Amino acid sequence: MTLVEGVKKSFETKGMRLLLLLVTLGVVATFLRMFKGLGGMTNLTDDYPWGLWVAVDVFSGVALAAGGFAITAAVYIFNMKKYRPIARPAILTAFIGYSIVVIGLAIDIGKPFSAWHPIVMWNHRSVMFEVVWCITLYTTVLLFEFAPSFLERVKWDGALKVVKIIHYPLVIAGIVLSFLHQSSLGGFYLIAPAKLSHLWWTPNVPYMFYLSAIAAGLAMVTFEGIVSTRGLKREPETDIMIGLGRGTRIALLVYLVAKFADMTYRGNWQLLFAWDKASIFWSAEMLIGVILPILLLSVKSIKESENGLLTTSILVLFGVVFNRFNMTFFTQSTGVEGFYFPSIWEMFVTLGLLAAIVMLYRLAVMHLPVFHEGPLNR
Amino acid sequence: MTTTAQIAQKGVLVDLTRCIGCRGCQVACKSWNERSVKKTINRGEYTNPQKLNSDTYTRIEFLEGAFGQAPAWHFIKDQCMHCKDPACASACPVGAFKKLPNGPVTYDFDKCIGCRYCMIACPFQVPKYEWEKRIFPWVRKCTFCSDRIAENLIPACIKVCPTKTMFYGDRDAVVAEAQKRLADNPGKYVNHIYGKEEAGGTSWMYISSVPFEQLGFNMKIPAKNLPDNTWAMLREIPVKVVGFVTVLSLIAIFRNRGNGHNAESKHKEEN
Amino acid sequence: MTNHFIDFKNADVILVMGSNPASNHPVSMKWILKAMEERGAKLIVVDPRFTQTAAKANVYAPMRSGTDIPFLGGMIKYILDNNLYFREYVVKYTNASVLVNPDFKGPGELNGLFSGYDEKTRKYDKKTWSFQMDENGIPKKDPTLKDPHCVYQLLKKHYSRYTIDKVSSITGTPKEKLEEVYKLYASTGKPNRVGTELYAMGWTQHTIGTQNIRTMTIIQLLLGNMGMAGGGINALRGESNVQGSTDQGLLFNTLTGYLATPSGSLVDLKSYIEKYTPKTKEPKSVNWWSNRAKYITSYLKAIYGGRATKDNDFGYAWLPKLDEGMNASWLNLFDQMLKGKFEGFFAWGQNPACSSANSNKTRQALAKLKWMVNVNLFDNETGSFWKGPGMNPKDVQTEVFLLPCASSVEKEGSLANSGRWVQWRYKAIDPIGQSKPDADIANELYYRVKTLYQKEGGKFPAPILNLTWNYGQKDALGKIHEVNVHNVAKEINGYYLEDVYDKTATPPKLLGKKGELCATFVHLQADGTTSCGNWIYCQSYTQKEGKIINMMARRGKGDPTGLGLYPEWSWAWPVNRRIIYNRASVDPDGKPWDPKRAVIKWDAVKEDPVSKKPGMWVGDVPDGPAPPMATEKGKLPFIMMTNGVGGLFGPGLADGPFPEHYEALECPLEENMLSKQRINPTIKLFGDKADAFFSCDMRYPFVATTYRVSEHWQTGVMTRHEPWLLEMQPQMFVEMSEELAKEKSIQNGEKVMVKSGRGELWAIAIVTSRFKPFKIGGSTVHQVGLPWHFGWQYPVDGSGGDSANLLTPTVGDANTMIPESKAFMVNVVKVAGGRT
Repeated sequence: MTLVEGVKKSFETKGMRLLLLLVTLGVVATFLRMFKGLGGMTNLTDDYPWGLWVAVDVFSGVALAAGGFAITAAVYIFNMKKYRPIARPAILTAFIGYSIVVIGLAIDIGKPFSAWHPIVMWNHRSVMFEVVWCITLYTTVLLFEFAPSFLERVKWDGALKVVKIIHYPLVIAGIVLSFLHQSSLGGFYLIAPAKLSHLWWTPNVPYMFYLSAIAAGLAMVTFEGIVSTRGLKREPETDIMIGLGRGTRIALLVYLVAKFADMTYRGNWQLLFAWDKASIFWSAEMLIGVILPILLLSVKSIKESENGLLTTSILVLFGVVFNRFNMTFFTQSTGVEGFYFPSIWEMFVTLGLLAAIVMLYRLAVMHLPVFHEGPLNR
Repeated sequence: MTTTAQIAQKGVLVDLTRCIGCRGCQVACKSWNERSVKKTINRGEYTNPQKLNSDTYTRIEFLEGAFGQAPAWHFIKDQCMHCKDPACASACPVGAFKKLPNGPVTYDFDKCIGCRYCMIACPFQVPKYEWEKRIFPWVRKCTFCSDRIAENLIPACIKVCPTKTMFYGDRDAVVAEAQKRLADNPGKYVNHIYGKEEAGGTSWMYISSVPFEQLGFNMKIPAKNLPDNTWAMLREIPVKVVGFVTVLSLIAIFRNRGNGHNAESKHKEEN
Repeated sequence: MTNHFIDFKNADVILVMGSNPASNHPVSMKWILKAMEERGAKLIVVDPRFTQTAAKANVYAPMRSGTDIPFLGGMIKYILDNNLYFREYVVKYTNASVLVNPDFKGPGELNGLFSGYDEKTRKYDKKTWSFQMDENGIPKKDPTLKDPHCVYQLLKKHYSRYTIDKVSSITGTPKEKLEEVYKLYASTGKPNRVGTELYAMGWTQHTIGTQNIRTMTIIQLLLGNMGMAGGGINALRGESNVQGSTDQGLLFNTLTGYLATPSGSLVDLKSYIEKYTPKTKEPKSVNWWSNRAKYITSYLKAIYGGRATKDNDFGYAWLPKLDEGMNASWLNLFDQMLKGKFEGFFAWGQNPACSSANSNKTRQALAKLKWMVNVNLFDNETGSFWKGPGMNPKDVQTEVFLLPCASSVEKEGSLANSGRWVQWRYKAIDPIGQSKPDADIANELYYRVKTLYQKEGGKFPAPILNLTWNYGQKDALGKIHEVNVHNVAKEINGYYLEDVYDKTATPPKLLGKKGELCATFVHLQADGTTSCGNWIYCQSYTQKEGKIINMMARRGKGDPTGLGLYPEWSWAWPVNRRIIYNRASVDPDGKPWDPKRAVIKWDAVKEDPVSKKPGMWVGDVPDGPAPPMATEKGKLPFIMMTNGVGGLFGPGLADGPFPEHYEALECPLEENMLSKQRINPTIKLFGDKADAFFSCDMRYPFVATTYRVSEHWQTGVMTRHEPWLLEMQPQMFVEMSEELAKEKSIQNGEKVMVKSGRGELWAIAIVTSRFKPFKIGGSTVHQVGLPWHFGWQYPVDGSGGDSANLLTPTVGDANTMIPESKAFMVNVVKVAGGRT
């Protein structure tokens, strides 16, 4: 079966058809965005210029795709051979994730056809300029890191050789670029100390973002590893998952300690005891997304069971997404009456993008040598 | 870090004790900048529109309340503060916002990509977006009539004000005027020039007879340049890149020795 | 105004009562703030509502609408009790010392009435309101002010009833506030302190409106503030050229220059002149109205030109006359219109369907017309009355014509501001579409009417056919296609029709050459040798040494006195005098009472360029060039008053020589707390169902008043069409106190219904701390306020609301008939279902 025939056949399942439907809805909503403008189909306002798309498609998407650099670092830099089998899936997740982030960004900005401007118009004092460049470069790096899977399938050996030569520099570049933009995403908020509650705002927010991204990336790889194994009826990779769980726990602990140290050093604990919306949301975020997973991952029965790992990774993912949401929305809600809730069309775009991630991932693992034991021929 | 030149920067002192709320400034601005209107309703006050928006670069807020025993009615002019080191100019990835040497913070639509980070960055909630425009949505805000002051005219709002609420001149002279008014009229003004230090200093400054927090001014804005916060992180990047690449390479070499051929050259990638 | 806008900067105390300059004359605040900043002047605002002006004031005193006379009466009492009046000024320049007819009785003795009241006719026989004359026919005086019949003592007696407790109880102003205001304002009784008063419709639009102003005039005379820089009595007119419109005689009861419209019983010019030329034997009184004959004759010569000759009484017979006792003022007009007495109606630059008190009655009245011509920039509630709310177009037989006219920026001409400065303005753009300036529309009308008269004859063609009408270039048929306003201005100024001489001089001095423009109204003649369309505008467009000068277009910025007179900027009537009665600003020797603010002063050495003799006034144009009063040829300063002095006792008004408090037609009280006479005894009461009024009625328990906002203009015909303005003030609103809102469970921003005995409308509630309930006679009285800028016709979705005049009563001031839109009673209720 050729690649194309194989892809077509994959859409014969109900699940894939549903995903395709969601993607189509997302495309329709995107067309609507082009024809009616942002004001015509989103609930974005002057008070809330950043909404669902920025919070999910950009901020959360990037955090959740952090598995790419985390696993490649573990496997290729630290030579932890145990995790080799999940290197390609992690890169795949990251590559698809970042590509979708780029698409999501292009949909969100007011002038999509000017998206190329940052390449030639530079403002070196702008963190967004740095992030755009980093993400662009990193997506390119991911493209090349993922390329072997595709090149092997289509048997373009010449290209394959080239890609393999630059592999290590790519990995290093990928890790460095990831550090830069994962932390810079937190850096976005540095400009707004008067707007964002200091439960979140600190000059060290870049480090907070980086550490939480590592935890999110590992949790994402765990989550998608367990789910795809079950969905594709493959051998469970329990050992690897337990190892990831350990890594996640360590990452969370480091993050927690860093956060608490920062809170203490800056004397911000009294903000917690204000028991206003900010402190309640912050508490929920820390409890559900950080403290609870740490505790759960300390219990042998949980940390060594697939279900336990699945549950805890979901909690971590929730916590990080919630954190990105909180920071985006609390920055905008200071001193503003009224609130923002995404419109149905905004949700269609985001759902479409999420569905695209799942759909492309499944297509990739089914038709490309992502799992080293070869693709399934169904 | 300082931006463009500090010399001959223009400034404006808004003396809130002089404003009578006639809103000539609000209309003159719309006239000069050829702005339109948004549909409004009476929400139980004179203030309209409720906030600055893509058609309203300046507006008067009517604030009343029984401050103390006697009733009171205050009229507060709201517009871009034209910060000395603007957060919007540092935030914009393509440099669409610029602080001109003579004061105005201007916007270049041709560069803008519509990311709206400027709206997040501004501590005064000034930039507004043309959400309803499909193809060419602008970010809109007071221009300090940069086209007028380039021709040695004064901004439209200042020209039309009947009670000389705004004092226009070089920023240093404006600060001096504010200090003079405070000193010459003990008890008339609260002892604060809003905008002198806030956000590192703005071109538009205010003096008032009533505490600023009662008038809805944001008192939480730190007295330092906001872009410094971001720059503190960005300027460390070259060092971090070099450091990271070095460390990662060393670890990779160390951990992978005995692996055979490994491409571990210390490539410094452009980033 | 007796003074002018810029003059406010010269005041020590500025009393704003009956007006709101910050909202409605914002540029005037520039001068008020200047006074406050540069000379430490104090601003007092007395108003039922804490306004934008009050926000800048040093003292704010709340006061129930319609109680200005008690408020000010209490101030008069305070001034007299504490001897704070400027004695020399009062004795020498007012009629304080004049003895009044001993049969004169006041409200204190007659339970609220003055002597001579006829209950049936609701009029006063003013016989007892006269002065005692000596054998020479000169009013008797007591300069010691002790005679019980002297004006001063009568004044004191009259206002002794206005005790501070009573005043506080009537006005709702706390006693301490009253005292604070009185003390501060009365401090201007000193010669070197001056106070000014700014009023507008808040004073005029009452049944006792004229008397409101009279009360302040009395105060200003007592304190010696008339004629002074920074003083005077200053009306802030409600429209940019309404001063011009009254100057040019657009009201029914005046020709130009405030010459009275003749009634039919004045059969010839001689009778007219006889009736309207006051006579006095007071030796030092100038009595300027004694020149009346010159002005009426010159006016007739202006409009009828060569056809007006001595033989035909200068065309006096062609002037339209009023029936005896006829009052063709606004309220009467629409009352008659409703009764079907009018076939046609020109609504020229107005919107009666919204501006008229009792708008419902007016709208119904319009339906009785056969035809209407609506001359306006936009279609409005008047032109479209037939499709308004409650109207069935099928039942309306009125044919409506809309003649689009040009706005003020589309034509050239003059505007007279409140300070009597007649400033010339230029055309900025051409009128759009087919719209024409009003003058050109009038011109077209004139020719068509004239042609019809010429072709078909008619009852009385002469008044039209004999008009000169030299307002532009004429074609072969004598028709003007484009009016040249300069011609109009020149005709208003007037010409010397022959060589005119001053025959009192020897040898006779040439005043003006034939064909040249008049230099001053002093040169006008009663023998037909001069023409002048409007005597007070004589000199506005004149000729000096052969050169024609449009004085109104001058823009000289010199200010030699430093008082802001700017004598070379434009031109003020009369004869460019900037401060009227300025000879009261100097003592009888010609020395300014306040040398630091010298409006004029007598320079005994300087040579007078006219008389070529030493001794002349320097500064403003003196109010009467006569030398100081103490000199042999000196004159009293109040030259327009028959007896040359300011009138504390003013017998000329219909409702009393002293202002007396009467409640508004609709008021919250059953009785007037001062006397048994609740309402003004001389006001006309309209008795139809549409005119129903309700006083002290549970159905309409709240006092209402109307006012304006900066963003809208009059009934909003122009401003509602301007999106930038409508955005700022999009909807009709009613301001009410937080206490009243709580009582009625009304939320801020909620739509409510406001109802009166004549109509109702919805309004958005603005719940504010700037209105507070009043304590009147021990009970709580609430007051609300509404703007009157909205109309159902635009915005077309009706979202703007309608006019507040749907609520106002059909009743007017006893002297001017200006409707009482500032004090009436309403109810405010929630709209079922809340905000729509």
